[in-house]
Amino acid sequence: METATPKRRIAPIQTLTRNRRIAEFWRIFQDPVLFTGLVLVVLFVAIAIIDPIYAMVKESLTEKGQELFRHYLSSPVYQRIIRNTLEMGLLVAAVGTFVGFVMAYVQVKVAVPFKRLIHILALVPIISPPFAVATAALLLFGRNGIISYGILGERYDIYGLDGLTLVLTLSYFPVAYLNLRGMMQALDPALDEAATNLGASRWRIFRTVTVPMLIPGIAGSFLLLFVEAIADLGNPLVLGGNYEVLATRIYVSIVGLYDTTAAAVLSVILLVPSLLVFVVQRYWISRTSVVSITGKPSGTPQMIRHPLVVWPLFAAVMTVLLLIVLVYGVIFAGAFTKILNVNNTLTLDHFDFVINGYGSEAMKDTTQLSAIATPIAGVLGMLIAFLVARKKFTGRHALDFATMLGIAVPGTILGIGYLLVFNGPHEITLPIVGTFTLIPKLTGGRAVFGGAIAIVLVYIVRSVPAALRAGVAALSQIDPAIEEASISLGADNFGTFRRITLPLIRPAFFSGLIYAFARSMTTISAIIFLTTPGTKIMTHQILNEVENGRYGNAFAYCVILIAIVLVAIGILAVAVGTSTGAEKTTIEGAA
Amino acid sequence: MAATQAGAIVLKDVQAGTLVLEEVSKLFPQRSGQGDVRAVDRVSLTIEPGEFVTLLGPSGCGKTTTLRLISGFEMPTSGRILLDEKDISHRPPNKRDMAMVFQSYALFPHMTVFNNVAYGLRVQRTARGDVRQRVQRVLDLMGLSGLGERRPHELSGGQQQRVALARSLVVEPRVLLFDEPLSNLDAKLRVQMRSEIRNLQRRLNITSVYVTHDQVEAMAMSDRIVVMNNGQIEQMGPPEEIYRHPASRFVADFIGRANFLDTTIEATGDSQATVTLLGQTATLSVSAPLRPGDRAVAVLRPEVLKLEANPALEQVTIEQTMYLGSTVEYIVRLGEQRLIVVDADPHLGRVFSEGTTAGLAFKPETVHLLAESAA
Repeated sequence: METATPKRRIAPIQTLTRNRRIAEFWRIFQDPVLFTGLVLVVLFVAIAIIDPIYAMVKESLTEKGQELFRHYLSSPVYQRIIRNTLEMGLLVAAVGTFVGFVMAYVQVKVAVPFKRLIHILALVPIISPPFAVATAALLLFGRNGIISYGILGERYDIYGLDGLTLVLTLSYFPVAYLNLRGMMQALDPALDEAATNLGASRWRIFRTVTVPMLIPGIAGSFLLLFVEAIADLGNPLVLGGNYEVLATRIYVSIVGLYDTTAAAVLSVILLVPSLLVFVVQRYWISRTSVVSITGKPSGTPQMIRHPLVVWPLFAAVMTVLLLIVLVYGVIFAGAFTKILNVNNTLTLDHFDFVINGYGSEAMKDTTQLSAIATPIAGVLGMLIAFLVARKKFTGRHALDFATMLGIAVPGTILGIGYLLVFNGPHEITLPIVGTFTLIPKLTGGRAVFGGAIAIVLVYIVRSVPAALRAGVAALSQIDPAIEEASISLGADNFGTFRRITLPLIRPAFFSGLIYAFARSMTTISAIIFLTTPGTKIMTHQILNEVENGRYGNAFAYCVILIAIVLVAIGILAVAVGTSTGAEKTTIEGAA
Repeated sequence: MAATQAGAIVLKDVQAGTLVLEEVSKLFPQRSGQGDVRAVDRVSLTIEPGEFVTLLGPSGCGKTTTLRLISGFEMPTSGRILLDEKDISHRPPNKRDMAMVFQSYALFPHMTVFNNVAYGLRVQRTARGDVRQRVQRVLDLMGLSGLGERRPHELSGGQQQRVALARSLVVEPRVLLFDEPLSNLDAKLRVQMRSEIRNLQRRLNITSVYVTHDQVEAMAMSDRIVVMNNGQIEQMGPPEEIYRHPASRFVADFIGRANFLDTTIEATGDSQATVTLLGQTATLSVSAPLRPGDRAVAVLRPEVLKLEANPALEQVTIEQTMYLGSTVEYIVRLGEQRLIVVDADPHLGRVFSEGTTAGLAFKPETVHLLAESAA
């Protein structure tokens, strides 16, 4: 710099662009904490997300894989499986989005009683252990179902598309509900008022203002539900019957046939629609969003009070909520009775089995591993959010995208990728010094810590995206000048993050942690291939119990799992806090 | 203002810095991805210790980017920035010994007023007792005593502004930076705060760089104004010089209001030029090199024009009369051109009503002549 002459000519544009990139990295490099953070994040994304997916795709493209591709895509059996998968995905996406929309609309725009209760009940399925909803539905509406046979006298065959649509909709509609409710609340009531003022009726406003404004949210929810549905493994395992989908087929390929190549090929077929939807969601819908979030909406929305609108909608909402109550009621009742609907004697045997008996190990292991993964996922999520939203460097969009892949790809795919990548130790041989183990064997028999590391990694990978999105959303609400003020006053990046940013995004951090813990405790598809005799995971145990028809034990597992998650939320609320301290509170004495 | 003469004692350690910008340029990639936008274009500027310099210009002129280059939130694409003869072009913003007052104040919403002000001192690991003492003194200085335990959202706009200023002052920066700090205040408070800031700056003798698009604010506060346009400096100088001798039509138009009359140089001599304006032959002092026959533009401020009921003068038609109390503003028509005339003393003369005609007079010494190239 000292040698630069004041009269030097302006460099050509291309050099400047390159210099700028170097300068951006140089600025990050100058801050050791930030630099370490960036390196850690990139390593994590490369090793835990990209590499397994890449390995799986590579495996599917081997000679044997290509053969299988041709076979699968031409065989009528597999064509039907693919068709089933898409059909189920579309149906669940449509029904789930519709249910979510109605619930959100009622919650935000219609004058109905018990709104708080409706909200809480609608969120209950978010903490649903896999298999729980499906098994409960089976007991309620199956051939010997408490309702279908017991009350209606109908020997209903719930296995197949109808049953799957029911349980998947119940499991995933809260995602659409939350999404659309947020958007509806952000709609400026002045829009409704302006339309009313111009003489539009309620119905006309709904058609010409509300729905068009929410199209991005509706489309987004539809796509999200579609991906969730086609990736779901637990429900089709219980309720699929003869209706086979890709996720179950992949599971059978690994667990029944030990054929990783076949599983990889099927996974790639499943990956295509998932990734397609992810890309569409990310680059199309997020760009066409017309909802402007300007902090607090002005004015109070006018509630719809017409009885002919209110009561039918209220009845519809209550029906959905009744289903949720029934399902969770069966889970609860099933956990406390010998065999629900056959021998209704109250018993604590199932809990004894889980807490003191065979299940205690799984309970401890799962909680422990989830507890390890949760803070890591939370911090990583906030760190990546900070880097992506606040720092300028080439590749930050790629970093965001790659992190999001952790949830965009179906869990089974991640599991197979881990099997392929971490089934042996990764070693590096240096001259003279000898051979080092970079990453030890993480999966399968004789893996370090019984495969626990791989499971924790998967937990983190599956949880970070939600924390990342929550973090980015929170950061976008914070004026960057606040952080610049801190730096201008002499604080470095790390100090600013710790003293200013983190406290201000505390609510996002908190929800990221809750999500991470709940997700880890309930995940099945991603870890089902990674459990070993050394590490027992509750969700896997639940599957065993369900497969062996010991529903009581399965339900006891579910109840305990839900209890652990609720207790953890309580602990996190106290330990992390849910507020920033910046909220407006009326201080006594203040005018 | 609660500030007292103690002000100078509060910040006795302030070392006013000398800030130098040498050929500083900043290029941003265009959103389309095609090429770059030159936000700041070879800006050179020296700011003396204790000087109050305002960067003034319309939005998009590069003034804010220049401030961000000085503060270190942006790095220059080329050129150097020196503080007390040390090159700080690529020093991170937290190591520059400057403090910035933001447009949005950027108070830390989760901290009390006291902790906001103490923040910079705590970052510097100042001893606890010292922190308390110095924060208290600055709060007293800014008239914020007793508000230390409040949170930012419990303060009025003017109080928030003061906290932001106190937070920057307490770290005793060598250069104080202001990014349109008054634009969120209502008109009356803005006038009050600008004189408070100016008084404080003078008493504490802190080198200050102030960004604004409000020319009145710039005129009222600055030792020197730097007028920017399209990333370049159009003109810099004390407020009076900028107003009386604008270097270009842009400056004349942006600072205050101006009427422009095309004219031709008839004779020149000894930094003077003779032109015919409004039917009068006038000899004007000029700084630009002009030769007889050159086309030029005369800048006449509205207040140097005067309407008189005198048939010997060039006659204009009164199109609009606006009685504003202390002044009367006229829009008059001269041939194809509309001119603004401000009568600052309506009580002495008469008010001309719309539709009538009047003669237009001016004093030659108040006319500024621009070469056509500068226009």
